[in-house]
Amino acid sequence: MNALAAFFSPNAWRVFHRNFLAWRRYAWSSVAINIVEPFAYFLALGFGLGAYFSLTGYGSLVQFMAPGFLGLTALNTATFDAAWGGYERRVFNGVYESIITAPVDPLEIAAGEYLWQAFRSALYGSLFLTVITGFGLVHSWWALLCPIMLALSGIAFAIPALFVSFVVKTQEHLFYYFSFVATPMVMIGGVFFPLDKFPHWALAIAWLTPLYHAVRVFRSLVVGTVSWNTGLEVLWVLAAIALLAFVPVGSIRRHLSS
Amino acid sequence: MTYHWARGFDWGEFGASAGWPSLRYDPHKLCPGSPHFKRESGKPTMCAISSIVVNARSLTKRYGNFEAVRGIDFAISAGECYGFLGVNGAGKTSTMKMIYCRIGRTSGELTVLGMDPAHDAPRIKQRLGVVAQENALDPELDVIENLLSYASFFGVTGAAARRKASELLELVNISGKERALVRELSGGMKRRLVIARALVNDPAILVLDEPTTGLDPQARLLVWERLTRLREVGLTLLITTHYMEEAARLCNRVAVIDGGKILAEGSPAALIAQFAARDVLEIVDSDGRLPADGLLGGLVVRRERHGDIQYLYNSDNRVLLHRLSELGFDPPSHVARQTTLEDVFLNMTGRELTE
Repeated sequence: MNALAAFFSPNAWRVFHRNFLAWRRYAWSSVAINIVEPFAYFLALGFGLGAYFSLTGYGSLVQFMAPGFLGLTALNTATFDAAWGGYERRVFNGVYESIITAPVDPLEIAAGEYLWQAFRSALYGSLFLTVITGFGLVHSWWALLCPIMLALSGIAFAIPALFVSFVVKTQEHLFYYFSFVATPMVMIGGVFFPLDKFPHWALAIAWLTPLYHAVRVFRSLVVGTVSWNTGLEVLWVLAAIALLAFVPVGSIRRHLSS
Repeated sequence: MTYHWARGFDWGEFGASAGWPSLRYDPHKLCPGSPHFKRESGKPTMCAISSIVVNARSLTKRYGNFEAVRGIDFAISAGECYGFLGVNGAGKTSTMKMIYCRIGRTSGELTVLGMDPAHDAPRIKQRLGVVAQENALDPELDVIENLLSYASFFGVTGAAARRKASELLELVNISGKERALVRELSGGMKRRLVIARALVNDPAILVLDEPTTGLDPQARLLVWERLTRLREVGLTLLITTHYMEEAARLCNRVAVIDGGKILAEGSPAALIAQFAARDVLEIVDSDGRLPADGLLGGLVVRRERHGDIQYLYNSDNRVLLHRLSELGFDPPSHVARQTTLEDVFLNMTGRELTE
């Protein structure tokens, strides 16, 4: 079993299904938490702050931020549940520990988690998409492809987050990842403002994060400026998934098999 | 309900009959575990090679510098209930985990159902039922979801899984609680649910790591009763326990394990006879009025003193207490109990309570 083949195994979907069953019980609060907060920021920054200026070459701030927030929602949703939720499922609730007594490969459990985060990102991101559609900020039918991109970016964000959940000694240490990796990634990801005026080195760092590319894809889909470049950005995210998937393999195997 | 160690339960007859299925010997039949074995429906057949389902030779497990299991040998036959007795840290759980393919061995040989856990873990796991030490139930799922979700990993899905789940809930006496969350169950129910869950795949061996530790007496009795039922229909049970009484009730054969080594192996009765009496009377005797052994008519097999407490090992506490009161000695404070692992264990390892 390798890290990519695991995505296609029935066991990965059984892990997915297990997470779905658990999620059903608190689905409404989960949706509310994952939508209300970004929505509040979106209103405050987009309409409040954005009322004072517009961005040269991009129009209103709210129009610029709307697709960016799709990426932000995917990042937050997938990162938090893969890291914090994953740690709970593994350490506190013994979920993986009992699944592993069945004929299941540890990598299939990880793949199931990634697929689950893909679903969450697609669902919560799509809800945000309907909100910004309501505000008249979506201008292209290409936006219908957003859920697919949300799912892909959910996987890209889930892989490092789950990895971190396997590495940390206590759950609180996950905040190192949230504060030192996830949040800075949002700041330089082109979510809130264009990166044209960034120095080259900062732009280079941004280019290395999946969020930067995901946000550019969302912007193209929402505004309707899809080009071959958009396809390349999607390929970048796919390649990141293919490479990242192999990083946690050793750690996952160490924890879930001898 | 019938059971065959290679074929599994026949739940269709559940409740109607219990006992061994008739066996037809076929010398060319392949055993489970041999490379070309295929499970066949229909009449069960015995296979040509021996029915040893777990075999260990010089089995060791080392964690860093710590050697948890230090070269143990044992062989468990189909249909047997085999117990590992030992205190915490004796190496019981490590041994169990090696058998159910959770951890790899450091050295030695181990075969489970004829297969090597190092190479055939998925195929072994497919045919094992595991009740791990912690209640590994999923607290985010309800009772029926716990069973169905776990069953899905063995390829048991759909209507077959739902039918199996309700039969198992009936077997472990949790019917009617299908929609309860795990935290709403009592400790005993949780343990029985874990046992039910371990049976979803019709295992050839049920592995239980301290199945009744932490349960109240009633809950423990109910677990024992259900396990006895499984044993009687021929399921191979493999148990670890602290409790001599548990081993005596359930196991055909037990291995006393300490410091990663097997100190003794045999039937519970033989072990108790060899290393301790059946009962022990603990008497607080601060003023030394307790009659000497000679006056007790040979009732006391062995006597130990620890502080003010005297331990009188004997075959029947009631008889001994009766004799003591005949002698005019009414112990101001005493505990009459059966001998436990600790008693056997301390006698065996020569670590006296006295001094």
